[in-house]
Amino acid sequence: MKRDTLLSTLLGLTCLAIWEAAVRVGHTSPLVLPAPSVVAQSLWQGLRSGYLGPHIAHTLTEVVLGLWLGASMGFVGGVVLGESARWRGVLMPYVVISQVVPKLALAPLFIVWFGFGTLPTVVMTALICFFPLLENTATCMQQVDANQLELFRMLRASPWQTLWRLKLPAGLPSIMAGLRVAVVLAWVGAVVGEFIGASRGLGALIIAAQGSMDTPLMFAVLTVITVLGLAFYKICEWLERRLLGTFSDLSTRTSP
Amino acid sequence: MNAFLQLDALHFAYPQRGEVVHDVSLQLAPGEIHCLIGRSGCGKTTVLKLAAGLLTPSQGQVQLKGQTVHQPTPEMGFVFQSPTLLNWLSVLDNVLLPLSLHGAIPPDQRAYGEQLLTQMGLAALCHDKPHRLSGGQQSRVAIARALITRPAVLFMDEPFAALDAITRDELQRDFLALCQTQGTAVLFVTHDMSEAVYLADRVSLMHAGQIQAPLQIDLPRPRHSAMRYTPAFNALCEQLRHAMDATL
Repeated sequence: MKRDTLLSTLLGLTCLAIWEAAVRVGHTSPLVLPAPSVVAQSLWQGLRSGYLGPHIAHTLTEVVLGLWLGASMGFVGGVVLGESARWRGVLMPYVVISQVVPKLALAPLFIVWFGFGTLPTVVMTALICFFPLLENTATCMQQVDANQLELFRMLRASPWQTLWRLKLPAGLPSIMAGLRVAVVLAWVGAVVGEFIGASRGLGALIIAAQGSMDTPLMFAVLTVITVLGLAFYKICEWLERRLLGTFSDLSTRTSP
Repeated sequence: MNAFLQLDALHFAYPQRGEVVHDVSLQLAPGEIHCLIGRSGCGKTTVLKLAAGLLTPSQGQVQLKGQTVHQPTPEMGFVFQSPTLLNWLSVLDNVLLPLSLHGAIPPDQRAYGEQLLTQMGLAALCHDKPHRLSGGQQSRVAIARALITRPAVLFMDEPFAALDAITRDELQRDFLALCQTQGTAVLFVTHDMSEAVYLADRVSLMHAGQIQAPLQIDLPRPRHSAMRYTPAFNALCEQLRHAMDATL
């Protein structure tokens, strides 16, 4: 395992070295492909001068808000659709239709509705994060083992207990897989939203850098987005382990 | 006879399969172990679920201690064909699940759970997750879970069917010992004739949704493994075999 991590790191460093060498040997214009060292320099300058900070904070706020709104509504919606065959029958066709609509294509419309700034981007991010959670939660709730459901009936568990003590813990891996997809998509939503209608944020910064032909800055911003996206993904994995622990603790309560 | 669990002329039909249980009556005395034996699809599992209140008969009724059963009661335990353990809970928490669903667990109940696991030979595995256990060990956990509430009657649906012969023999022995100390009545569904003869006070044969008059098993208790090779044991198995062949 440790050896794999080492090899993996080596692979990444080798790729960077080849990139650096290719740019230096080939004298590629930094306008087209800046060397990693130039990108790193641009990134360091941006961070140190405090230029990048507010943009990062802006996009981060949008991602967190959008993700929180979209994921929690998707989760609740998924529980409702998973629990009630009637709601599923009535709403599912519309859920599918709205899922097929390309959300990013709605961005210009959102600007008309919500104006420029944070709100349209948050709404779009939320919309994008909504469906993976809805779909995965609704599906996993229906895939609970029939024997386990019968066991809970035999133990006279209430529907509420069956939800909290069986369906959600059993479906947790699937729900968290939905969240991981949502976390990745949230960054797409926020950055593309900023491309279209924002003057602040990392997406807006990429557009601005393009305008001033500052390719190293574009790469620097991309690096920031990637690192933040990776951090969110890792937080997700940590959360999954924590939640599994919580579900097993739920039943270990001993009365004093 | 002092009927403690009484199945009264039960009928049951699944929507698309027609009647699978036809006029089944059965009586269980306190502490009695009664085996239901029959081929696959003869309706024995359905009878078990009717008795446990998991299904509602279209005609007839089930009575436990004089009370009509409409749904599962706290006095019942059920062991399913597969162990159906919750893989996110530890072994001990799985055993305590029937209690933890209905409130916090008093320390003496927790100790009782540990004691049951010890009797099942799983003391060292209390805090492991179920997926680390072998099939036989998982079955033992499922039995301990069914016994944690000290049920008056236990319903068993071929719980040992998927185990190898030696593990099955050991489990049957340990299971009998536990039931005997608790005085639990058992309705046990199986398709294994020697299992039925070894465990039961009486064996009823089911065929095509109907039940035949029970066969009395007059082997002494406590039963032990050596009995499986006695002429009396084999004679009973043979008798059962003939009765099953006659249903062909």
